[in-house]
Amino acid sequence: MVLARLIPYALVGLFAGYLYHTATQFEFHRRGSTLGPDFWPKLLLGLVIAICLYEIARIVLFRGRRGEASGVLQEMVEESEAKHGGGYVHVEARSPWVLVAGIALTAFYVWVILRLGFFLATLLYVFAFIALGGYRRWVVNGAVSLVGTLAMMFFFMKVVYVSLPIGEEPFAQLTFWLMRVMGIR
Amino acid sequence: MDVILAQLATGFVAVFAPANLGALTVGLVLGLLVAVLPGLTLVMGVVLALPFTYTMDVTAAIILLTAMYVSGTYAGAWTSILFRVPGEPIDVPLLWDGYAMARQGHAAKALGWTLVAAGVGGLTAATVMVLLAHPVARIALTFSTPEYFAIIFFGLASVASLGGGSLANALISLFAGLLIATVGVDDTYGAHRFTFGVRILSDGIDYLVVMVGAFGLGEVFTRMEQRFKSAPLESASAVSTRLPSLREMGAIKGTFARGTFLGIVVGLVPGAGATVASFLSYGIEAQYGRRKEQMGSGLPEGIVAPQTAATSSVGGAMIPLITMGIPGSGATAIILGAFLLHGLQPGPQVFETSSHIVYAVFASIFVAVVGMCLIGYFAVRYLVRVLELPEVIVSAYVIMCCILGAFAARNNITDVWLVVLFGVVGYLCERFRFPIAPLVLGVILGPLAETNFMTTMISFNNDWTIFFTRPISGTIMALAVGSLVYPVFRYLRRRARLAAT
Repeated sequence: MVLARLIPYALVGLFAGYLYHTATQFEFHRRGSTLGPDFWPKLLLGLVIAICLYEIARIVLFRGRRGEASGVLQEMVEESEAKHGGGYVHVEARSPWVLVAGIALTAFYVWVILRLGFFLATLLYVFAFIALGGYRRWVVNGAVSLVGTLAMMFFFMKVVYVSLPIGEEPFAQLTFWLMRVMGIR
Repeated sequence: MDVILAQLATGFVAVFAPANLGALTVGLVLGLLVAVLPGLTLVMGVVLALPFTYTMDVTAAIILLTAMYVSGTYAGAWTSILFRVPGEPIDVPLLWDGYAMARQGHAAKALGWTLVAAGVGGLTAATVMVLLAHPVARIALTFSTPEYFAIIFFGLASVASLGGGSLANALISLFAGLLIATVGVDDTYGAHRFTFGVRILSDGIDYLVVMVGAFGLGEVFTRMEQRFKSAPLESASAVSTRLPSLREMGAIKGTFARGTFLGIVVGLVPGAGATVASFLSYGIEAQYGRRKEQMGSGLPEGIVAPQTAATSSVGGAMIPLITMGIPGSGATAIILGAFLLHGLQPGPQVFETSSHIVYAVFASIFVAVVGMCLIGYFAVRYLVRVLELPEVIVSAYVIMCCILGAFAARNNITDVWLVVLFGVVGYLCERFRFPIAPLVLGVILGPLAETNFMTTMISFNNDWTIFFTRPISGTIMALAVGSLVYPVFRYLRRRARLAAT
């Protein structure tokens, strides 16, 4: 438990330390006694490291027995919820694999969009995302994915004039055909 | 005064131009929908709408986003009252009396009270905003870099100290945001900072990418891990709105006045927003109100206090945004982003250079409040039906909008990769309870903070005490330090009280 609370601060602190080291390597010509472009980032990184060290010390020394200073809103919410009852659903069950799959799917979509083109990549992505989210009405999913993707394509290319990826051959032919049908030049 | 009224009148004419009126209507409806849908927050909605405004005229773009901001503070109340599901964190206090009133069979009346409260709070705050903006801008014209840095420091300090979660985490988030803003080639020395040899990073990281990723994608990833499980909806009787009578309203005029005043003041504080206003107003009513013992049992005061404060905070938050270019809340941070995207820097000079845009935006807030109330009155029964939409479908299109928004800005796929990266960062922030608002505000205000700090240091021979010795900057710095120390003081006092008992 203590370790789990320590890890975020340790990682952030270490990363800040690495960035601090990087900031000492900035190349520039110092002008007299004026502060250089490294001053501001070093100041911020120093503060991040100090806070992380403080939090690590607090967790190690007091093992979470003592609370921590929190934002005023947090205290107001806690006090009010204690008095009147809360309004949020605190979901305990988490599905980390669904999350990992969702992130991977999104990253894959970004990678594939230049190859398949906006329409095909988005249609497949939206369908897969909705299925991954646990929605099992396949026909509705298919219809929503198709109609939504076509609507997005029409809006962005025809109304907002954004040049969406058309994809590589042979997928580009499908995009061109859809553009012709929609009257997009 | 005459000049202000004349310019406001011109602003109203501009608002009723078809393009601007269309943008306003779209903004109102989107704001209402975003506020109703659980999993979509007001700030997230405004972020998602921002890319759609790229090709719009600046006035229409700001009107659309401002209308979303106004109506987003209102519609979440419907789901709080009818289904016990707060659409926004702002609406949590509305559960306690609003839902209780609905359970007593007076749901229509509860909806009527929220409508009147939002209308009164919104219109009063808009009036105060118009009256105060010009004098504040005149004062701001006398400011130099130490004062500007002090104000930005105050804003950043208060977003950390007033927000949710631990103060240490909020500060880490804030510094991370300020650091992200330093990425790229430094303006003064031409030094490459944290670019790691990657060419695209030399141009810096666009705050839009951070906002869209952290607020939009991050939230969807968080909900995805929870498999989009929302609170089960309780059945509501036929949805309609019944307005309170003038006599009923007169009986709690003090609550209206207190809520509106608090909302404007909280909105004025850079970094605090509608959520703080709503909770604070309910808390004060529960502590000092005439019927404080009965709060939570379905009193109109328990609805009016948070709703007036939430909606009136919009007018308050627009004042520092327009007059000094400093956002007073998460949503105004994005509206500031929209101003900058369209090449307009809010600040005291904006009244000289672009007063027609400023007054059109001011006028649009009046029209938006009225429009919001009309749509709320006639369309509530239809708008709450969006709750029946499966959240996973909405989320799929939220991701779509995030990705397309990032791509549309510069037609660059690297920006899309950065959005996904910041989506993961946003998720990690949520997961490990590092608030996102300070991160985003840090990215937006970072360049301004650094420029004003460095210029002051150069102008005053590296004498950092100048921030504390000049009267205005000293006072603001003292307030900022006070806002940072206050949560620590509260914590120590609470610990001492616990130890004593």
